[in-house]
Amino acid sequence: MRLITHNMLQCHVRGCNANNFPLELQEVVLEQEEAEMNEDFLRNMLGKLEYDALVATCHKLDINDLPVTLPEDAQYNEEFLQILHRIILETHVKSGKMVCPNCNHTYSIRDGIPNMLLAEHEV
Amino acid sequence: MSHNKNARNPLHKPSPFQADTPDMTPEQKEQVHVHNVYQAIAPHFSATRYKPWPIVEEFLKNMPSGSIGADVGCGNGKYIGVNPKLFMVGSDRSSNLVGICSERGHEAMVCDGLALPYRPELFDFAISIAVIHHFTSPERRLAAIEEILRVVRPGAKVLIFVWALEQTGRRDFDKNVQDVFVPWAMTKKGEPTGRAGSRPQRVGRNDQRTTSLTASGLSITESVDQFTIQRDQSQELQIHPSASTLVSTPISTPSLPTASAQEDAYVAAQMMNANVVDPAESATPVFNRYYHLFHKGELEDLVAQTNKASVVQAGYDRDNWWCILKKD
Repeated sequence: MRLITHNMLQCHVRGCNANNFPLELQEVVLEQEEAEMNEDFLRNMLGKLEYDALVATCHKLDINDLPVTLPEDAQYNEEFLQILHRIILETHVKSGKMVCPNCNHTYSIRDGIPNMLLAEHEV
Repeated sequence: MSHNKNARNPLHKPSPFQADTPDMTPEQKEQVHVHNVYQAIAPHFSATRYKPWPIVEEFLKNMPSGSIGADVGCGNGKYIGVNPKLFMVGSDRSSNLVGICSERGHEAMVCDGLALPYRPELFDFAISIAVIHHFTSPERRLAAIEEILRVVRPGAKVLIFVWALEQTGRRDFDKNVQDVFVPWAMTKKGEPTGRAGSRPQRVGRNDQRTTSLTASGLSITESVDQFTIQRDQSQELQIHPSASTLVSTPISTPSLPTASAQEDAYVAAQMMNANVVDPAESATPVFNRYYHLFHKGELEDLVAQTNKASVVQAGYDRDNWWCILKKD
């Protein structure tokens, strides 16, 4: 799971509708894997990213390269886009878990694959 | 539970038959006749799913560079790499299929189509190819479409394919029966058997034509695509589609497994209460997959019921009804 995907996920247990994002990454094993950079994609993603959540998540993972606030010229800031690319597309969570800050539901990540299935009573 | 008499004869291609399970809830029916089946047949299923359907391919290739999309019910991920200028996230109920997808380098997760774990209005587009026909009630099929619409942004396009009741030619469906089981049969070929245990064999990254079919001693006969996969004398796997539009494609086999896929599949089939032929007789487990066959206009009716999208394009292709919807 890339960090970009983590930024898209929220807890979806029935009734857990507030404070359910971002899921807190715990006990994670990270891996860097090179990927081709697509600036169109990064620019499009800037409008969709929850930037503060990304920065907070990165800090907990001891990744401190991102500026605390999104640069005003982010769309055209080559250096920033490269850092963003490395973090959200090239950084993979190989294993660990994600815990909902609201209901504490825990989702596991194994072999790089998050398991977001819920038990029947949680749907 | 109904029994398909054809399933008892491995020389006979199993035919679809009415899904008659009065004692099961929709959830139970999906668990036994959809989720468990795909878990068990994942590597074999994946080996028959490598050629993108042209309408899906065109839909993806026409998306603006940099768009992000969800593939809901992604299976082995065969559509995720079609347009490398997109970023797509796949999801599927079958962890074995998601495993294959992930080994190919695609972004994928295990989840239920009725409870997607994404933030609302996130995606620029979504696809759901041959998935919604596996939901066992009208309410659940509607809910599946609504859940996709929840996670795409206003104006986003969604492409949906479902199996058609009116299909002609390769299959003989009773036009009065919309809820059917379509058997997936595995028949023995007499070659050294392989292991198809709980962990599926994985497929080489970004190589949709290379597969490691675990069940080296099996041939797979599926009434859906009428493919036969078998190991020939040179130990190369061949796919022989009976449809004339497809060409035979050699497939490499990275590893030779050890134990009996037959036994594993048989045990898996037994555990899920599938329609099983005694292994002592012919070792032919048959997995009955549930399908709701859509009649003409039914998919559009469901979309209209959501009140959240309109159909911008629709048609019939390869035994399926399809439509592209646009979220309001």
